[in-house]
Amino acid sequence: MGKPMLEVKHLKTKYVTRFHEDVYAVDDVSLVVEEGKSLGIAGESGCGKSTLALSLMGYYFAPLHYISGDIIVDGKNISGMNPDDVRKTVLGSDVAYIPQAAMNALNPTQKIIRFIEDVFQAHGIKMTKKEIYDMARERFAELGLPEEVLQKHAVELSGGMKQRTVIAISTILSPKVLIADEPSSALDVTSQKMVIRMMRQLMEKGYIKSMIFITHELPLLYNVTDDIMVMYAGQIVEWGTAKEMVFDPIHPYAKGLMGSIIVPEEGMKTHALTALKGTPPNLKNPPKGCRFADRCPYAVPTCQALAPEPKEFEEHRMYRCLMSVRKLREVYENGTRPEFETEFD
Amino acid sequence: MKNTIKQVFHSGKFVVGFVIFITILLTCIIYPLFVKDDPLAMLGQGNFFKPGTYVSQEEVALEKSYTLKLPREFSKLEMVLDMDTRSQIQQFLIKYAEIPEADIDVTNAEGLVQLWKANYDPDVKYSGMTSAKRKSFRRLNNEIIAAQRDTGVIIAEEGEDGLEKSKTIKDTDFVNTKDVQTRTFILGTDNFGRDVLTELVAATKSSLKIGLIAGLVATAIGLVLGLLAGYMGGIVDNLITFVTNLFTVIPSFVILILISYSVGDKARGIMVVAVIIGITSWPWTTRSVRSQVISLRNRDHVNLSKLSGHSMFRIIFTDILPYIASYVVMAMILQISSGILAEAQLSMIGLGPATTTTATLGLMMQWAMTYSAHLNGSWWAYFPVVVIIALISFSLNLMNTGLDQVFNPQLRD
Amino acid sequence: MKGVRKYYGQKIFWYILTLIFAVILNFVLPRLMPGNPVSAIASRAASGMTDASAIQKVYNEYAEKFGVNLPMYQQFFRWFKNAIRGDFGISFSQYPRTVSDIIKSAVWWTIALQLPAIIVGWILGNILGAIAAYIRGVFDKAILPLFLFIGNFPAFGMATILMYIFAIKLRVAPASGGYGFDLIPNASWTFFKSIISHYQLPFWSIVLITIGGQAIGMRSMSIYELNADYVKYSRFLGIKDRKIVGYVFRNAMLPQITGLALSLGTMMGGALVAEMIFSYPGLGTTLLSAVNGQDYPLLSACTLIITIMVLIANLVVEILYGIIDPRVKANQQD
Repeated sequence: MGKPMLEVKHLKTKYVTRFHEDVYAVDDVSLVVEEGKSLGIAGESGCGKSTLALSLMGYYFAPLHYISGDIIVDGKNISGMNPDDVRKTVLGSDVAYIPQAAMNALNPTQKIIRFIEDVFQAHGIKMTKKEIYDMARERFAELGLPEEVLQKHAVELSGGMKQRTVIAISTILSPKVLIADEPSSALDVTSQKMVIRMMRQLMEKGYIKSMIFITHELPLLYNVTDDIMVMYAGQIVEWGTAKEMVFDPIHPYAKGLMGSIIVPEEGMKTHALTALKGTPPNLKNPPKGCRFADRCPYAVPTCQALAPEPKEFEEHRMYRCLMSVRKLREVYENGTRPEFETEFD
Repeated sequence: MKNTIKQVFHSGKFVVGFVIFITILLTCIIYPLFVKDDPLAMLGQGNFFKPGTYVSQEEVALEKSYTLKLPREFSKLEMVLDMDTRSQIQQFLIKYAEIPEADIDVTNAEGLVQLWKANYDPDVKYSGMTSAKRKSFRRLNNEIIAAQRDTGVIIAEEGEDGLEKSKTIKDTDFVNTKDVQTRTFILGTDNFGRDVLTELVAATKSSLKIGLIAGLVATAIGLVLGLLAGYMGGIVDNLITFVTNLFTVIPSFVILILISYSVGDKARGIMVVAVIIGITSWPWTTRSVRSQVISLRNRDHVNLSKLSGHSMFRIIFTDILPYIASYVVMAMILQISSGILAEAQLSMIGLGPATTTTATLGLMMQWAMTYSAHLNGSWWAYFPVVVIIALISFSLNLMNTGLDQVFNPQLRD
Repeated sequence: MKGVRKYYGQKIFWYILTLIFAVILNFVLPRLMPGNPVSAIASRAASGMTDASAIQKVYNEYAEKFGVNLPMYQQFFRWFKNAIRGDFGISFSQYPRTVSDIIKSAVWWTIALQLPAIIVGWILGNILGAIAAYIRGVFDKAILPLFLFIGNFPAFGMATILMYIFAIKLRVAPASGGYGFDLIPNASWTFFKSIISHYQLPFWSIVLITIGGQAIGMRSMSIYELNADYVKYSRFLGIKDRKIVGYVFRNAMLPQITGLALSLGTMMGGALVAEMIFSYPGLGTTLLSAVNGQDYPLLSACTLIITIMVLIANLVVEILYGIIDPRVKANQQD
């Protein structure tokens, strides 16, 4: 077991809408990412993935608000720190972020190299412009980006190039954790591939020590990350290795989600594609019982009343359902709804 | 539609603007119902009367005699004899004329004065009286005499044998001001002695009319050109865009001056000025309509209509116009406000409506400036005009900002 | 680089085309109306002047200059040739001064007044708008409607108000003219002081109006930019707020430059009328006296020079904008 780079314990945050309503988009999330490992977070849109990504940064501004929980980066608890200190000493240097829409992530009227200089300056790194330029050029070359990009304005770059530039800038200070929020979703297939290759390179060359990759595209996670976590309505519903999650999902939601993908591997040919019915619950007013109960094909009346707690199984895996693993497997095997008087653990 | 209107009225900015504008508009409609005078009637003989109430002197002089039942305050004598003075007279009478206190009725001014006249002699040196007191009594005596004097003004008219005395107005004659024509000029009078308030209401009305016509003309031209350019594209678009750009860069103010001057004084009525303003201010509408139409042109619903073989007019009316309606309305609101301003500026140069029968805000401004109201401190002749122009334009712009926030959510606070 | 040169080439070409068009308009518009301009001019000249020989002289001169009997296009070229040499004929109302002489003395007053006033107003307006957008809250709530209200004042209205307060009531500034009426223009200190004191009121009335309009525009541009993705991204890279605000205001200000270019014509129109209020010896007052004196040659020369000034200002702004905003360059390369 490696050294944990990012450890999150019972994190709870909310965002406030224009109409002053609270939305609890991240509700009691705990996770660990070890050194050299990557974690994928999957879920439908609106499940709180992006909010989780922002919450993990440990720096909050309206409309996002911190409620409770701990974020520990390489042994340092940043959730209790002064926001200004977080910004100065953690953001960019310890925890880096790649936004969902890199299209507008760069200031259109500034040259890329000027922005990189600003990043260095913001973290109090005393380097001359020449040194910064040399280092940036080297890093860009390593990641397969042309040197000219440094002297260009963001508006002069194509979409894919812009995204890769953003990734290179985000990781220029070799952060311990990289949080990438759908870094490739808005791109064409070729650019997507390049972005994914770049993410891998970052890990291999040690420019980042660990990574959290958030996406709604499951096949991507299977290819990129070591572990996968499935999120539903602001909570983690299952967590395991990528392989386990794709071939042996336990939670009914994870099962449904995985059922909607095709993985070109042995044994998948017989797998029928399924689609989940309905929409996720409104997070302004989350249901009292299991949040998935309304859409769960295997739900029993108790599910509506009782909220499940996360449970561990098979040593490192975790899921959040009232039913036992054995029972769930049995249900999946038979393809039937469980009895009314079903057994719970 | 209903929902949109509801949303619009939820915008604070729009509502404030709307209320100000409607208030001005309603004033223009309701005020003339109560004040039926000709707004350009020259009431005062002389220019720039301050705001206030004025009595017509002519009327006072030529009216027949009245028997007046006046309240006491209207008697000169009563005014001279306030309570303090009366008690001084009383003390004097008691002390020097030795009249018993019971015989003196201080409430009866006439009686008191009779007693005073009978007993006071300004030439006598009353013993035991300070010289200041003596002087003050002498002054009082003079005042009483003056108050009782009734030589007034003699009114004479020219008759067969020269002037004939027709009437004497005594000093003590009073006039019941309720029966006499008084005029209250809340905003004074202008250089021709016209009531500024009444004139202002009429002027606002005609300026609003000018703004509305100019706005309609500009919007109509701008809409048609914008639709053609945006929808047809190609050479038509290039041509219209070129012309539009020309007219955006050449100041419309200049074209306005040239056309107004060329039209000549005779033809330049209110309507003509409004239309001229309209035909010089369409480029903005054209620009915004064109860019909206271009972004709409390739939307699915428009393509569907095209594939269904609908005619261009049908597509424009059913698939495009409803989507750009809000922009057109917003553009028109701005056109109205800039039209009113354009009229004012044009008039100030002397190229406004050439009319003597109607007032516009610009003409009022021009008259005031020509007669140097701004140099002789007659603020009432131009300041209300400026405020009205600012208020109209403020309210319209506020409405526009409100609409903008409803239709472009990105600008919302 | 080639794209950039092409961009400026196109711009300059386009402006020359516009200028030609403006010149044609200046020539054609008065002639579209019924009656020939020279006889109209002559009759107006007659009403404006008392000296019979002067009237005759003016009439002959204009008949010659306009070539009344020639076809329209020949008339145009004749007029155009004269105009290029700066020969707009002789003024009716200020006979025997030439029109170009009058214009020459007026135009510098206008440039010296309006150019600094509009620039100062633009800068102050942008600063205030940016502050309002950044601080929001009470400052914004109170200041915004005030800006909006001031921005909606007609320039001449602001001029009369400032004049009433500072010239008529407080008597701290002179009410009219460009310098003391008892002075003869020379290089003395008194004359300079007189110019400065006469400059204040017209200057500030234009500045105030400009501030109002610009502040509103800048505020909404800034709010728009403050919500942009790059603001969030820069924050997450640990960049200080002060720096980010710098990015935002630069980006918000650049479109304001185009806004300035587009509204320059309207602004100048308003400012000219404000000049009239103060009898400032610039083009506004010249325009007024041209209209009042039925002085057609002077009027048309005024409108032409105003158009040229606006065109030049626009061109300068557009070229400047192309240099400082890389977004324009990028658009050209597509």
